[in-house]
Amino acid sequence: MECVELVAYQRTTVILSELVLGAVLLRFIRGAVDPPTQRIISASLFLHPGFLIVDHIHFQYNGFMFGILLWSILMARNGNKLASGILFAVLLNFKHIYMYLAPAYFIYLLRSYCFSPSGKLEIKNFLSLANSVIAVFILSFGPFILMGQIPQILSRLFPFTRGLNHAYWAPNAWALVTAADRVLLKYITRTGANVVINSSGVVSTSRGLVGDTVFAVLPNIKPAHTFAITVVFQSVALVKLWFSPTYKSFLTALTLCGYASYLFGWHVHEKAILLVLVPLSLLAAERHAYFRTFILASVAGVFSLFPLIFTPGESMVKVIYSVLWIIFVYVPLTRRVYEYPKSLSFVIIDTLEKIYLAGFPLLQLVVTLLPIYASRRAEATAPICVQSDDFTCPEPDPQSVAAPSSAMEFLPLMLTSVYCAIGLAWAFCRLMYVYLNEQTYQGPLNRI
Amino acid sequence: MEELSALPPEIPRNSPVRVRTISVNSMRSLRSVAPAFARLPTEHERPEILAPTPRQPLGPNRQLLEHSAQQWVQSLGSPSSSRPVSPISPTRRLASLAEESQHVKAPTPLSASMIPEEPLPPREREQEHAMARRWVRWMHKRGVKSWVLPTALLASTCVKLAVGLGSYSGEATPPMFGDYEAQRHWMELSIHLPFSRWYTYDLQYWGLDYPPLTAYVSWLCGLAAHWINPSWVALDHSRGIESVGSKVFMRSTVLFFDALVYVPALFYFTRTWQATRSKRSQNLALLTLLFQPALLLVDFGHFQYNSVMLGFTLLALNAFAFEADIIGAIFFVLSLGFKQMALYYAPAIGGYLLAKCLYLGSTHGGKLFVQLALTTSLSFLVLFLPFLPPFAPLSAILDPITRIFPFARGLFEDKVANFWCATNVAFKWKNWASTEVLIKLSAALTALGFLPNVLISLRVAWQTQLRAGQPRPAGHTLFLPLLPYMLLSSSMSFFLFSFQVHEKTILLPLLPITLLLSNAALDSTVFGWGVLANNIAVFSMWPLLKRDGLGVQYVALLVLWNRLLGYNPLRLPALSFIQILSVALLVPAPARYPDIFPVLNVLISTPVFGLVWIWSIKCGVEASWALDSLGVATPRPARTSISINEEPSTTHGTKPASIGPSQGRKRAPFPSEEK
Repeated sequence: MECVELVAYQRTTVILSELVLGAVLLRFIRGAVDPPTQRIISASLFLHPGFLIVDHIHFQYNGFMFGILLWSILMARNGNKLASGILFAVLLNFKHIYMYLAPAYFIYLLRSYCFSPSGKLEIKNFLSLANSVIAVFILSFGPFILMGQIPQILSRLFPFTRGLNHAYWAPNAWALVTAADRVLLKYITRTGANVVINSSGVVSTSRGLVGDTVFAVLPNIKPAHTFAITVVFQSVALVKLWFSPTYKSFLTALTLCGYASYLFGWHVHEKAILLVLVPLSLLAAERHAYFRTFILASVAGVFSLFPLIFTPGESMVKVIYSVLWIIFVYVPLTRRVYEYPKSLSFVIIDTLEKIYLAGFPLLQLVVTLLPIYASRRAEATAPICVQSDDFTCPEPDPQSVAAPSSAMEFLPLMLTSVYCAIGLAWAFCRLMYVYLNEQTYQGPLNRI
Repeated sequence: MEELSALPPEIPRNSPVRVRTISVNSMRSLRSVAPAFARLPTEHERPEILAPTPRQPLGPNRQLLEHSAQQWVQSLGSPSSSRPVSPISPTRRLASLAEESQHVKAPTPLSASMIPEEPLPPREREQEHAMARRWVRWMHKRGVKSWVLPTALLASTCVKLAVGLGSYSGEATPPMFGDYEAQRHWMELSIHLPFSRWYTYDLQYWGLDYPPLTAYVSWLCGLAAHWINPSWVALDHSRGIESVGSKVFMRSTVLFFDALVYVPALFYFTRTWQATRSKRSQNLALLTLLFQPALLLVDFGHFQYNSVMLGFTLLALNAFAFEADIIGAIFFVLSLGFKQMALYYAPAIGGYLLAKCLYLGSTHGGKLFVQLALTTSLSFLVLFLPFLPPFAPLSAILDPITRIFPFARGLFEDKVANFWCATNVAFKWKNWASTEVLIKLSAALTALGFLPNVLISLRVAWQTQLRAGQPRPAGHTLFLPLLPYMLLSSSMSFFLFSFQVHEKTILLPLLPITLLLSNAALDSTVFGWGVLANNIAVFSMWPLLKRDGLGVQYVALLVLWNRLLGYNPLRLPALSFIQILSVALLVPAPARYPDIFPVLNVLISTPVFGLVWIWSIKCGVEASWALDSLGVATPRPARTSISINEEPSTTHGTKPASIGPSQGRKRAPFPSEEK
């Protein structure tokens, strides 16, 4: 079903639903610690290239969902924690991917709303929060409970039967592991080392299909493993949150929760990076440490979304738009938060990060040129005819020209995925380190 | 946006008013506040001193600096007033210092938002609606003004690409398709056929009917296309090819030549013709020009290469402003060689160059005249070289000529908002006169249209003519500012009265009027006419754009450009009916009168274009009156006042001052037509 009117209608609904996001972001400016800075951050979120790529070109309603998430965060900032909890419950019922963030909400609301600062349980608060959240869920699932559809819904919502990686590897830890497996396989087959090779893994590993990923050399990963690793990383952040349940600490823990799920989750889609980037943006102007983490994660995250848009015309738009966006975020904010690196190790890290960021234009160039190169090489094998004055060659069949080898087709995606995964994993470590040493990274948000 | 309003709207560099208000005392008191600020006066631009934009994080002193600088700026009032500067009170300075020392650890906030700000006078609040102005000011205030230019260029590229995502002229309408297919077809035939057959091959299917430079450009594009994918430009087999790849390729060729010719031309225009204006207003002018909706819609939506032709003409104008008349003439020949539509400008350019020769006196002027004649004919010869002996028989030159000037077609094509089509509603010209008579009539009317301004410039040149032995004064000639008006009246009279006009040719009159507009103050007459003409021009192309399926782009670009300029059509009662009508055009026409909307469109647009034409002549006449009193009595009084602070340029002997209307600035070369 595809017609112009339907497309126009669907796209219009996306734009209209995004008004929620705009309204919430405007509310964020009011009452912010530093409104001009918050204005930049709000504008950057509203015009986020992630939303442009995922919502307006790819088609989803993320702007609307993140509007609700930000509304919930805003309520937390303003001290209205009950409303924050209810809004998050509503959000969970719109899209269950926000489960990634649920642990941070749970700990934060439990500690700061249901317990008094001295550690005493506040029964009234606890009951009101629990009842309202349960009410939201009953409203949402009620009709399906009555019809007995719950098992069907759950199996649709949590598809553990799919593989470890998504078709295009989302740039997380598993992408790195899979790439390492590929490299090891190459190395072993070349040197002939005496290592057991899983023969089904040789042909597996993402030929662009949604299916099981089987490693050739490394031990295989089961859903339980990914779950355990995620929980371990999340609990580090959550313990810290329990002991300092402030707004800024909550924001950081929220980001880290989403981040851990993204990096170590089972069958993560690359779109989930928005779950990390949106709360992280709110922290961007805190200190240079936060800002640099934000820039690294944003550049790598947005770049990792590029393969979602593959038609050449739209590709140019997405690249230029993202470049514009990063300029408008980076240039005004960096002047505000810049700090000189204080020790040698910081200087080295700073330089390495800059080199990493400078690699992205190069990567884009490679990703653009590789398919052209591949198609031209395929063409070179075709017969060549000499052109005379008034005579033209018979044109080659377009079908044969437009069929580069599948290895060449997958290589740009793999490169993108691995390069972005390095940056995202490093940004995660950075943020975790900054969070655990939060007292040395005080910023304006600490005043809330 | 309270923190944006702290600065005065924008101050022209070298403005005599501004110079008067900078008092030495206030500078010294500022310097004593913080040594870091003392570095700033060495910057090349004056307004930077006024703007509270320290380059480096200044630590705790920064807010104090902003505070005092803001007070200082606010005490100046609006730039047009000349109130004396009030000294900064030392007690307040100390108070703010104490306040600042509280949070040293946290980064400094971006603006001193706690400072109470005076409410703006009404006129400045009006200007807050101009998005471009606000944005440029914001960038300057954040100290990131070096990014204004690259981001503006990137943003315009992004908009152009986004417009290009839409459909083009004649998409999926076999067998003839549209302008897109014509351009693609020329690439195809130019790379596969010898020169001699370019203008003769299968004329029924989009035969080449533009001058040779278009053909050469098509040939280059065709080579590139053939290299990437030969099936895009296969002779005869590729007719009507509509693959994704070929569309992207075609769109990117437009973008490429636009970036190669038009965008640099616009950039140099703001840097030469507006040389004495501040960087800020130059960038503002560039933004206005870059996002001009009519050209974006026709070039990147409908699909044509008009920006190349306009860009060459603009380069010619820039060369004239540099007093490089020969180079300018060559550029104009290139423009003519790209599209014969540039002939609309020819009376103005020719008139200007003739006036220049006249002005220089018999010896120098005669020399220049001979040089111009030689270079012009030589460049034409080079352009047409492949169609001339010894490369081709002499008769071959007739092929391009007959293709370029098709008098065999009718008086007007489609519905075009010019005099003939509008009057045709009541008065059927074809029944009344033969084609021969009509051609003569249209030629006479056109000449009547462009002659006044040309004659005025000749008269000014005659009056200010240099005597023998008199040294050439520095700066541009007195009649150079007349050139945009000449271009406007000449191209508009061609559009209104000439033979075989297409609705897209409104782009030609739009170029000079947008150039004038880019320099104008928000409440000046020029601004009003410029925006009106642009909006009506886009509106007059609505039937064409609707056929191309560019409705969304039409609305989006109009809104964007008007927002950028701070022009709100809905607030003007005179225009609101046009807005309503454009909405009404979305409704399908009644079956009995299928042409009712296009005809209404023509009837609305034509009077506006006619008024713009009359207005341009009026401006020329006014300018000549003003010059009468100046030019005869004292040879060049205006120039000295312009170039007071102009440092001698190293590359060129003269650096032209701002040319054109500077309404509200009170320092135009000649009195403006504001009242």
